[in-house]
Amino acid sequence: MTALTNLLAFLGLVVTLLIVWRQGWPGRLALFVAQSLLLALLAVVIGILAGKPGLLVVAAVVVLLKAWLIPRALARMGAGTPVLRPLAPGRSSAVPLLVSGGLVVVAYAVMLPVNAATTLPTEGGIPLAFAMALIGLFVCVTGRDALGHLLGFLMFENGIFGLALLATYGLPGLVEAGVFLDVLAIVLLMEGVVLRVRREHDSIDVDRLRELRG
Amino acid sequence: MAALAYVLAAGGGLAAALLGLAGMAGATFTVAAPALLPLGGLELTLDPLGGFFLALIGGAAIPASLYAVGYGGGERRGLLAYNVFVASMCAVPLAANALTFLLAWELMSLASYVLVAQSGDREAVSAAWVYAVMTQAGLACLLAGMLLLGVWTDSFRFADWSATASTLPPAGAGLAFALLGLGFGAKAGVIPLHVWLPLAHPAAPSHVSALMSGVMIKLGIYGLMRISLDWLGDGQAWWGIAVMLAGVISAVAGVLYALVEHDLKRLLAFHSIENIGIILIGLGAGMLFHLASLPALALLGFAAALYHTLNHAAFKALLFLGAGAVLHATGTRNMEEMGGLIKRMPWTAAAFLVGSAAIAALPPLNGFVSEWLTFQALLQNLRIDRAEQNLVFALGIAGLALTSGLAMACFVKAFGITFLALPRSEAAARAHEASWPMRAGMGLLALACVGLGLAPTLVVPALVRVGADVMRVPDPANLGGWLTLNISGEFASLSTVAVGAALLAALALPAVLLAAAGVGRRRRLYETWGCGRLVQTARMEYTATAFANPFKRIFDFFYRPVAQLDIEAHPESRFFVTRIEYANPTHSVFDRWLYRPALGVLHRTARRARLLQSGSANLYLIYILAALLALLVLA
Repeated sequence: MTALTNLLAFLGLVVTLLIVWRQGWPGRLALFVAQSLLLALLAVVIGILAGKPGLLVVAAVVVLLKAWLIPRALARMGAGTPVLRPLAPGRSSAVPLLVSGGLVVVAYAVMLPVNAATTLPTEGGIPLAFAMALIGLFVCVTGRDALGHLLGFLMFENGIFGLALLATYGLPGLVEAGVFLDVLAIVLLMEGVVLRVRREHDSIDVDRLRELRG
Repeated sequence: MAALAYVLAAGGGLAAALLGLAGMAGATFTVAAPALLPLGGLELTLDPLGGFFLALIGGAAIPASLYAVGYGGGERRGLLAYNVFVASMCAVPLAANALTFLLAWELMSLASYVLVAQSGDREAVSAAWVYAVMTQAGLACLLAGMLLLGVWTDSFRFADWSATASTLPPAGAGLAFALLGLGFGAKAGVIPLHVWLPLAHPAAPSHVSALMSGVMIKLGIYGLMRISLDWLGDGQAWWGIAVMLAGVISAVAGVLYALVEHDLKRLLAFHSIENIGIILIGLGAGMLFHLASLPALALLGFAAALYHTLNHAAFKALLFLGAGAVLHATGTRNMEEMGGLIKRMPWTAAAFLVGSAAIAALPPLNGFVSEWLTFQALLQNLRIDRAEQNLVFALGIAGLALTSGLAMACFVKAFGITFLALPRSEAAARAHEASWPMRAGMGLLALACVGLGLAPTLVVPALVRVGADVMRVPDPANLGGWLTLNISGEFASLSTVAVGAALLAALALPAVLLAAAGVGRRRRLYETWGCGRLVQTARMEYTATAFANPFKRIFDFFYRPVAQLDIEAHPESRFFVTRIEYANPTHSVFDRWLYRPALGVLHRTARRARLLQSGSANLYLIYILAALLALLVLA
């Protein structure tokens, strides 16, 4: 069991790093779907091995929500953006990748006391999931448009979901349901906002928000 | 619909008053819903002090709601806010833990904010803004103080605070007292935290002004009484000194501001500050006596403060309702445009006269009794053997005496300029009497003023029982008979019934003597002497500005008045004056020396802090990431 969960968490982190590396929007979206599916698989594995049938339901919801509904909404939002982001000098994926590597180290350092305190069979994956969350937040920070922010936020949420799975074998169903609802609401709201902003301004570049400053 | 809502509020007020009276008599109950909210959930409990304030709120809500039936004129806006306001005020003295208290407190502030801003004009909105800022700053202080106490005593229940207060270190208890005192002082309108009061009270509808001034600011007093004598134990000497000094400053400065104010409702609002000061003088005396182990005197000071709280609620609510009737009839709050209203609004004038005499502390009305009690408490200060405290008491005596005299002068002005002589404007000449629900509301309060003045022998023992319960000292049983009130043994005694009878006799005596001497009662109507002029107009009357001018000159160090004379002459010759305008504005020392510098510092800090706010969403997200990482690494 330990090997399987560790492997899945590791693959999740690899996919996360691939999202940081990829520049094109359809590619990033496909990788996000892959990340979500990996997490659903993780939930299924833990659910079977720990004897928690509730987690199978959670996995089904994850597939439905994060691998189908939300990506569809994201695809609608991204329909107007160019397939390849316009190249800008000084903006390659090398620096973000380097920072992401640093964040993985930070995640291991921060989680040292947690790992020392637990004896779960899944403890090896905990720092990996935490690194996924931190990198998600980092993607959110460096996002150049509203889609980038939203994708980062969703990766962050995925990381936290993975962390909860590995550290506690999943949150109580009620909390999990609440979080899923929140995420869905945010994506739907953002869809409305993004489509409207694009209609009004022909761009969803967040730099233009600066002009609103009083 | 509107009338129904106000009747509902009046009914709720009646129930609250009865429940409060039962609480004063010793009835207790507790309702708790601990699971509803964190930090101990909701819990209400009734004890004598809470019962007193509950009865006060309920008792004031009855006439105010009755009055509103006539005053509102079917206006539907603000009905919900009004009922929420009354209900949340009732919940404040019943709250048994910090969370319940703060919820009720904030609900009360929000509802009153809505009511202040209700009319929607520029003045009301800006007044509501100042009110909101001050009340939220006060709430921040309360929150900080209560959280500190909660952490130190490991409980958010007030009963636990009282039980463990003696174990707190003096510095910690002092810090909690200072924080909570600032919060409650801001609500009570203690100077220099008073700035919202003269703005917000006039802007609100008059029945709301009556409740805000009559009872809402009293909940600040309620909080100060709790922290001085109950939650934080017996306290320290500087607490009592601070309370008394704050009282002296509020009383004197409040009445000085009122003297030069010509907006009738603002004038009343400044008098609220003055009366809060008088209450605090009594409370401060009670605290100092309590600390000096003189329980009888401590009870006297405390009972004087409670009595004045009650009296001020009665006469200030009455005066605000009267001012509201005048505003309703003339459409202005400026006294310089009134005059002669006594002939058109006799009922309102009579009620306002009773209120004026009561606030000016004329016997046998209620204001006299509580100020007399306060004086008696202050005058026995030599039984404390501490020179610095005796000095503070001396300041209290001097301040209270000055305040009483100035208040008298101020209400001669308020009543005389508003109701006597000839109407100064067209609106005043066409004024009409208030409708009967308004008159009923004022009548109830006028009766209360007379009753509380004539029956101190019934009221004072009840208040002393409340005080004995709060301070945990035995209740002195003997305070005199049914007619005469004795305090501190035989130190002083008072019988307002006898005083009233003597005054009545003194008024009736000349008439009786003249009748006995056989002098006829022939009425002669003649014009007032107008310095030889043929035509008499309202322009020749004494104005409010003229009345206030001598005071401005005497206290010019406080008012800092500026004379503005604007003369417009005929173009042909400067000896033919076409127009003269005279204005004599004053400046608030607190605005100039306290609030302007404080606001300046705030603005400068805010400008620096704007560097953080670049407008870039990425930067804001970086703040979040950095904060998260810092917390994770440091924790």
